[in-house]
Amino acid sequence: MDSNQVHVTIDGNELDVAQGTKIIDACNLVGIHLPSLCYLKDISSYGSCGVCVVEVEGAKRLVRSCMQSVQNNMVIHTHTQRVLAARKTNVELLLANHEMTCTTCERNLNCELQELAQQMGIRDQRFVKTRKKPLALDLTSLSLVRNPNACILCNRCVEVCRSMQSVSAIQMTRRGLSTQVATFAELGLGNSVCTNCGQCSLVCPTAAITEKSSEQEVFDALADPNLVVLVQTAPAIRVGLGEAMGMEEGALVTGKMVSALRTMGFDRVFDTQFSADLTIMEEGYELIERIQKGGTLPMITSCSPGWIKFIETFYPEQTDHLSTCKSPQQMFGAIAKTYYAEKMGLDPATIKVVSIMPCTAKKFEAGRNEMDSSHAYWQHKGVVGEDEHFCDVDYVLTTRELARMLKRLGINFASLQESQFDDPLGESTGSAVIFAASGGVMEAALRTAYEKLTGNSLENLEFSALRERKGIREATLQIGDLACKVAVTNTLGNARVLLDQIKDGKSEYAFIEVMTCPDGCIGGGGQSIPSHAEQRSKRIESIYEEDRGKQSRKSHENPSIQTLYASFLTEPLSEVSHHLLHTHYTKRSAWDH
Amino acid sequence: MIEKLAPLKHEGEQSLYPNRPMISVGMGTCGIGGGADLVYQAFSSYITEHNLPILLRSVGCFGFCSEEPLVMLYLPSHPMVVYSRVEPSDVPLLADNLHEGRFWREHVLCKISAWDHHLSSHSYGEGLAELKEWNELPFFHSQTKLVLRDAGLINPDSIEEYVAVGGYRSFASVLGALSREEVLAVVKDSHLRGRGGAGFPTGLKWELMAKEQADRKFVICNADEGDPGAYMNRNEMESDPHMVIEGMLIGAYATGAKEGIIYVRAEYPLAVQRLKRAIAQAYEHHLLGKHILGSHLCFELSVVEGAGAFVCGEETALIASLEGRAGRSTAKPPFPSQRGYLGCPTTINNLETWCNIPLLLGMGSNWFQKIGTPKSPGTKVFSLVGKVRHTGLVELALGEKLTTLIYEAGGGSVQSTKRIKAVQSGGPSGGCIPASLFDTPIDYENLTKLGAIMGSGGMVVMDNDNCMVDSARYFLEFTTKESCGKCTPCREGLSQALAILNRITTHEGKMEDLKLLSELCTHISDTSLCGLGQSAMNPVATTLQYFQKEYEEHIQQKHCEAGTCEAMVSELCSNSCPLSMRIPTYIALLRENRLVEAFTSTLEDNPLPGTLGRICHFHCQMRCRRESLDNPVHQGELHRYLADTLYKMGQEQDVYQDILRRMQKPTNKKISIVGSGPAGLSAAFYLSRLGHSVTIYEQEKEAGGVLRYGIPDYRLPKDILAKELEVFGLLGVKFVFSTKLGTDISLDELRSKSDGVILALGSYHHANLKLPGSEGRGVVQGTDVLKNLAVKEPEQVGKRVVIIGGGNVAIDVARSLWRLDKEVVIAYRREVDEMPANRSEIEEAQAEGLAFRFNVAPTEIIRDAMQNVVALRCEHLLCGEYDLSGRRKRKGKECYEDLACDTVVIAVGERVDAKLLESEALSVTTGGQLAVERHSYLTSKPNVWAIGDVITGPSTAAEAMGHGKEVAKIIDRCLTGEERFSSLFSTFTYDKSVAKTLHEGKAIQSERLELSQRKHSFAEVNKGYTGRQARMEAGRCLRCDIHLEEVLNGQQPSARNN
Repeated sequence: MDSNQVHVTIDGNELDVAQGTKIIDACNLVGIHLPSLCYLKDISSYGSCGVCVVEVEGAKRLVRSCMQSVQNNMVIHTHTQRVLAARKTNVELLLANHEMTCTTCERNLNCELQELAQQMGIRDQRFVKTRKKPLALDLTSLSLVRNPNACILCNRCVEVCRSMQSVSAIQMTRRGLSTQVATFAELGLGNSVCTNCGQCSLVCPTAAITEKSSEQEVFDALADPNLVVLVQTAPAIRVGLGEAMGMEEGALVTGKMVSALRTMGFDRVFDTQFSADLTIMEEGYELIERIQKGGTLPMITSCSPGWIKFIETFYPEQTDHLSTCKSPQQMFGAIAKTYYAEKMGLDPATIKVVSIMPCTAKKFEAGRNEMDSSHAYWQHKGVVGEDEHFCDVDYVLTTRELARMLKRLGINFASLQESQFDDPLGESTGSAVIFAASGGVMEAALRTAYEKLTGNSLENLEFSALRERKGIREATLQIGDLACKVAVTNTLGNARVLLDQIKDGKSEYAFIEVMTCPDGCIGGGGQSIPSHAEQRSKRIESIYEEDRGKQSRKSHENPSIQTLYASFLTEPLSEVSHHLLHTHYTKRSAWDH
Repeated sequence: MIEKLAPLKHEGEQSLYPNRPMISVGMGTCGIGGGADLVYQAFSSYITEHNLPILLRSVGCFGFCSEEPLVMLYLPSHPMVVYSRVEPSDVPLLADNLHEGRFWREHVLCKISAWDHHLSSHSYGEGLAELKEWNELPFFHSQTKLVLRDAGLINPDSIEEYVAVGGYRSFASVLGALSREEVLAVVKDSHLRGRGGAGFPTGLKWELMAKEQADRKFVICNADEGDPGAYMNRNEMESDPHMVIEGMLIGAYATGAKEGIIYVRAEYPLAVQRLKRAIAQAYEHHLLGKHILGSHLCFELSVVEGAGAFVCGEETALIASLEGRAGRSTAKPPFPSQRGYLGCPTTINNLETWCNIPLLLGMGSNWFQKIGTPKSPGTKVFSLVGKVRHTGLVELALGEKLTTLIYEAGGGSVQSTKRIKAVQSGGPSGGCIPASLFDTPIDYENLTKLGAIMGSGGMVVMDNDNCMVDSARYFLEFTTKESCGKCTPCREGLSQALAILNRITTHEGKMEDLKLLSELCTHISDTSLCGLGQSAMNPVATTLQYFQKEYEEHIQQKHCEAGTCEAMVSELCSNSCPLSMRIPTYIALLRENRLVEAFTSTLEDNPLPGTLGRICHFHCQMRCRRESLDNPVHQGELHRYLADTLYKMGQEQDVYQDILRRMQKPTNKKISIVGSGPAGLSAAFYLSRLGHSVTIYEQEKEAGGVLRYGIPDYRLPKDILAKELEVFGLLGVKFVFSTKLGTDISLDELRSKSDGVILALGSYHHANLKLPGSEGRGVVQGTDVLKNLAVKEPEQVGKRVVIIGGGNVAIDVARSLWRLDKEVVIAYRREVDEMPANRSEIEEAQAEGLAFRFNVAPTEIIRDAMQNVVALRCEHLLCGEYDLSGRRKRKGKECYEDLACDTVVIAVGERVDAKLLESEALSVTTGGQLAVERHSYLTSKPNVWAIGDVITGPSTAAEAMGHGKEVAKIIDRCLTGEERFSSLFSTFTYDKSVAKTLHEGKAIQSERLELSQRKHSFAEVNKGYTGRQARMEAGRCLRCDIHLEEVLNGQQPSARNN
């Protein structure tokens, strides 16, 4: 036997597994899926819920399979009476102080606690509510709502925030029954270092952390005949929405999505990918300018709003490294309410821009004070007054919210015909699609920058080094005389590593792409639940497939973008671009949000 | 190395054993709490003012907390004299006498002629023979002071004194002579186990860490003592801080740690202060820091103050707390010895474990192993608190029994009227051990077997004033709050268990709750992550196991015997009364001069108020809160006064008529009662009022049972009893006399002619002492003597009588015979305090000058040639160890005494006639009583109930009558299917305001018959209260019946109905 293997017996099945394997994972190998409410493979092994217990011969007490690793010759029983009774009791105990509002809960039928209650055969309530007073909801955040009454204190959110994102916005506080997940000094997420990434909401087994919903506002806007409601959909939606609508994981549903949005009543169905191409134009030129004029390097992407809040909070002195480009969502809003309004002769005040995003932080981003350049544009022209204020983007919906709205309207998503985005803000290239996956912005920028700098056509458009599934990837692209070293990363924990390199003066990169969420936007905090690694692989596959199928795969070749520059913006980094497409950053700290 | 300590040693000896008088004041937190700091200041000013050549110093705590402040006085070449409860006003006399070379004789606790610090010893001096040596006091007698070897004798702020009694010598010799492996070997060989509670072998723990290769290693002292009622670690730090440092130094050397931390809770400021000072001194003398004592050893030690979370005593939570994180435990493995503080190998030992180390290395593992038991060698310091006479720190060799700890060291019950019920061992995570298991030797395994734990050594003693359900609830409330909240079973499970206990203690419990509770006990222990949760249900599990009856009483009878569950108990007197008499009601009515109503209330609750007012055990008085001020209110005297007064004025007839008017309509149900003693009469009274037809069968010629045939006239005049029996006739109760069950009538016959049968037989059966010579003339039973006196038959005794026994029968016989001019001696096997007879009866007997022989056991009745009794031979008894009742076992001294007499009266061991019961095919318990269902009084035969002595063995009249009352309620419900019982009780409204001032003064004693008039007379001794006395006594009632919310609401709620 391999010295790294140990021999174990699980319910009579004998097998050899790698040393260090958790019992719960070893059980999966023999087809036994142990229930757990707190375990998150490779992320959290906190052992709070006590549901995954098994009996190990020789152990005095029941053993938590998520915490203990297999030992050689371990004999494990996963479903003795003692085990089943203990699991059931622990779920019953959790239910006792849970708010038990299943029918009105947004996680109804997609709730791990509910599922376990069913699985355990719990049919009555033997225990009383011992927490007398309902706890206050945390409504302080623009992106997320925390409902401690639904919380079962599994700690997954805390662990994801701490270990994956290195943010630690939330912690377990207090003791005993008063234990709560809370921010520092219990001031609320909106007054904390929280980056709004929403990864917590993805891992929450119940509805204790959810996005702050804008569903009703959007329904209201759609019903208002005086408004022109435009919708933009982020690249990652087309590979995430299908799952939420009952289709297979990673299903590519661009055409059906467009039909669905049109059926819902949106006046124009546009694509954030249009503005993704625009972003590449601006960001590509910005990079070229920084390289040529000795600007701050490395330059770091700025399209992931969780990341923006992160660097503003934890590395405020390094915000000069950020590209000044707005994110595609915000570029879209600014262009829609200026260029498009002008072109179509619409009153900008009657335009509502709705974004469908895989992201909860986008809600925060849309609400940032500086994200109102279209209003400034019209105010400067004397068309609107200061008091007639509007934002560039009015409402942000997550994938999950959109799915709920579609279900509410009874739209049979899978059977919808495919249709096309409206023009002109619906046209995009392959470069824009890959924004959805980690590394995509970098690839897209390189495709454009290479051609603009060298004037040559890029042969191989796919940078395989940037597509590896690892935390930090790097590549060097020879652009003429210039060896351009770039890095790509996702999750804020990894971003911290790159920022520390910069801080220590050891960063060799010219350009860095940072995405807040694991694997980029396709793993965004607003995507459908569950969202795990295998699922994300399928979403990535679909994204690359869409890229390959696109007529044009380089942003600068997008005809609508070319028209936009020709007729409105003049050129990248122009005066108008500067006002509408670029932004500035706020220096924050752990205390000052 | 050791020679480097010589200057310190020399200096220390100067202050430890000076050549002039010295006064040492015990200045632990407990001492200071008792006023030791004031005493110290008083000495200081007095010595300065009078310029006395006396050395004054402060020392730690000698452990006898209930006797604080302790002061020790020293004159060269005299024993050290220990004074207790010293007050500042005692200072001049103490100091002046000492200055003049004498010891003041007040407040002396004991002397210390010599002291063994184990690593050194000192002989203070001989003499003062009249004083007890310290270890002759029961509190210290069985103690083995290892960890407490210096406590109270040395100045904790002086490194010199610590060195002078042998301190740092073990460390210095280790450093100079032993390798790390050799030190590890000593610790392993000693089998020393962790004193924090779990008992993990210390040597093994050290070895695990010694093997780890790491740049940084830590040793940590866990002094996060958080159990309510446990404070041994506090004292160890306060009294002998260098002992900890030395232990940790040795541990650091053996395990390779270069850094150490003492984690103390911030609530122990004095301990923190003394530890910090000790550490500073150690640094100053190169015992800490770099190149310790010139060697290569480096060790840095610091103190960290914990914020006081109970869970931080758990080692992984403690590490989290040290690292600045919330104190939440993590799973093991990895163990701290692999990855502990800051990820480095860490050894965490409890403070007391560290304290054992210097001694262990100084004396060797062989020496250590000889103390305690083979599996658990050494000693454990217990903090003994709660309902014992002596509280404090008791260090016992492991394996000593709980009886030794609680009855010997603790001195047993705080009062003779209280009974120790249980001890909570190991704090809130420990278990509750019932008194019936106190003969268990204390060690890790035994305590675990009982469901408790050693824990850190907290021992909270509980007596019959403590409700076991409530105490489980209390401990659980603590752990529920202190749960770190991490894992489901602990956080949620404990709160559910607490909710259940809250329900039970507020009369909302259900029997199903008990099942759920015991399920939670198993579940929480089985699936909690750390020791807190795994052990938190121990108090519940053990009380459920050992005191299930109390849980059931709370649930089924809504009754809390101990009177602590407020929701069930309005006032302690009524709650403790077996008849549930509305005591505050009649007291209040009496005070308002509404005597007829007051009498009505007592009669409704108790059909024999005048009788019981004379002979009751007065359970109420034993629980009266007034006792904490001066004396309990004499409730019995008050209802006797009411009865006597009404009878004197003839007003009782109106009350009787009123009761007759309120009788329920005849139900045509027939009840037969066997026995007309208090139990039978009480049942008859209530059942007849409920409309049932009651017939009582009595083997004697008249009614009353023990009241008539067992209690002498001087205690209960027969006319009172006759008067009180009148009402039974009025109620239509039929008496069939001279009819004995089993002889004249069978149970089946009774069953066939009635709807229900109540057996209220009493306990008349006699024990046979089986002494040589006990057969034949001149040996009589005490109850026979009393009965003969009652029916005025010629007594069967001669002129000189020895009575064997210590109960009421013995005293009644003795006092009766004394009245008849007999020469009487009472021979009892224990001391006067241990006599089961009523305290007032014993006192009267002593006043009458009766002779007692204590600590004797009869061995033979000596007869002359004519077979006449000439003497009772007794063996004198020696007190041995304590038995389960908290009394010392007697063993024969083989020293005999003949008590000359012509008659021996046996007044012990009245029993139930089990043979009779068996012949009637009734189930009998192993104790020889009639078996009944616990709360229904039903026997093994349908429609046959049993009450009184026959089911309990000899008990009190009130208890028997209480049974009668309860069974009447049950039978009526059974026969009619309705709840009609409460209709028998009137509602009274009375003033519910609390007097602004307390009626001061002790209980009022009624007038007693002059001693000179008692000879040749059976006239009643107690003449009862006058009207004025009764009103004054009633004024002493503290009015526990008035609750704050009633006062606030200004309500006038009516009295509680039964």
